Amino acid sequence: MSGYALVAEGLHTYYGKSHILHGISLKVGEGKITTILGRNGAGKSTTLRSLVGLTPAREGKITVFGTETTKLPPYAIAEMGVGFVPEGRKIFANLTVEENLKVPVDRPGKWTIQTVYELFPRLQERRNNKGRQLSGGEQEMLSIARALLLNPKILILDEPSQGLAPLIVREVFRIITQMRAEGMSVLLVEQNVRMSLEVADWVYVLNDGEIAYSGTAADLQADEALLQSLAGVSAEKWEI
Amino acid sequence: MTQLILFNVMNGLIIGAFYALMAIGLSLIMSLSDVINFAHGGFLAVGAYLAYSLAPYIGFWGGLLVAPVLTAILGLIVEKFLISRVYGRDPLYSLLLTFGLAFIFEDGTRYIWGAQSLPYQVPGWLMSPLSSSFFFLTGYRMLMIVLIVAVVAGLFVIMTRTRLGLRIRAGTLDLETVSILGVNVRILRNLNFGIGIYLAGLAGVLAAGQLGLQPTIGDSLIMPSFIAIIIGGLGSLTGTLLGGLLIGVAQGITTVFFPSASEAVMYVMMALVLLVRPQGLLGEEGRF
Repeated sequence: MSGYALVAEGLHTYYGKSHILHGISLKVGEGKITTILGRNGAGKSTTLRSLVGLTPAREGKITVFGTETTKLPPYAIAEMGVGFVPEGRKIFANLTVEENLKVPVDRPGKWTIQTVYELFPRLQERRNNKGRQLSGGEQEMLSIARALLLNPKILILDEPSQGLAPLIVREVFRIITQMRAEGMSVLLVEQNVRMSLEVADWVYVLNDGEIAYSGTAADLQADEALLQSLAGVSAEKWEI
Repeated sequence: MTQLILFNVMNGLIIGAFYALMAIGLSLIMSLSDVINFAHGGFLAVGAYLAYSLAPYIGFWGGLLVAPVLTAILGLIVEKFLISRVYGRDPLYSLLLTFGLAFIFEDGTRYIWGAQSLPYQVPGWLMSPLSSSFFFLTGYRMLMIVLIVAVVAGLFVIMTRTRLGLRIRAGTLDLETVSILGVNVRILRNLNFGIGIYLAGLAGVLAAGQLGLQPTIGDSLIMPSFIAIIIGGLGSLTGTLLGGLLIGVAQGITTVFFPSASEAVMYVMMALVLLVRPQGLLGEEGRF
């Protein structure tokens, strides 16, 4: 591995008085797909929100390509090349597709409104439709396209397959591997364990705000017993 | 009789246009910053008095051009150093802050310019009626209407054609997501506040020529402006504009037939809208 795009050390994050993350440390390899698995409420989304500055960690340190970002506001972290596809897609329902794509700031790079339309031809067809008129799959594509327009060096996705039809889920994962092929570093939070282990290089399993496992995706995938025992850590069943 | 009704409808339209200018600014600030700006009337008064003091040097037209801009700059400063500090806190903080600011503006203008009403000089040719049968149609009234229409149209263009406008509209829905797309939301809120205050300043200059100058000039406009927002639907610029004009015209017509109810009519309208369509006339669907 050549290096790390993002390094987090000992993150402690709170929502008000409730202590959610208990010393999370993780690394996102440059040009790799890193995935975080875990049941609902394990702290996956909170980890991502801390990394992008939406819910700043109270303790710990985050560096992006060697620059510390722990105390920076979300827009400054985004400006450094961190693209975020939030849970639930969070597209702007009151704006058209094209207007949604004009919200992100311009960072130089290959992704422009034209090139994201080439990646997602469906969005070009629906360019004048309001966000609220899109299907779930189209919303997911718009949310990814919007993040790509930042020309990020790191792409962080929070449950991109949530609520999507299997065919669309395949498409989303195809895009994610394509981004890796183009040299982007990807951090992926997923409920879909099978699919994410298939594409990921490195995997973390989160439980109750702590890292329960860290290793290569191939190792975890090969070790059915380990996978089951990690899944068994949670009261809820994973979708394996 | 027809002339009397026309006269009052015209009066209503003009006063309604003032409500709309105020209400649109209030609504922009409320939607993006979650702050109910009780100092809006104070900014209006500042705009009016600035125009008054500048007029001897740069004339009526210069004052009309410059005073709203200076008011907007004051707005940017107040937002940056005071109002931005209460973002994300309990709404009580911003209510108390802007309420206090309203008092400071009112007493400040009284201290600087005096408590007595001052005459605001509008060029004479603007004050003469356009025709003898429609004595109430003065050039100044036409000017006000043209200017307000132009400014509101300009605002529509900003909101639908510029990235600043798109980001403000996106931010009224989900400011957090706007920030993760790299947009500096502190600056966005600051500029949005400035736009709102510009509209208040402009309303102040125009009102000065119509109503004369006094420190409480904004007071009679602020309550109808809040009601215009409720009637039109929060978040809808078109609705707010419509709400302001409707209230003004309704007041004008009520003045003819039932003068003592002209103050109450807007509350009746608000009650009806809240009963029949609580999201406002153009709320939700009209949200832009």
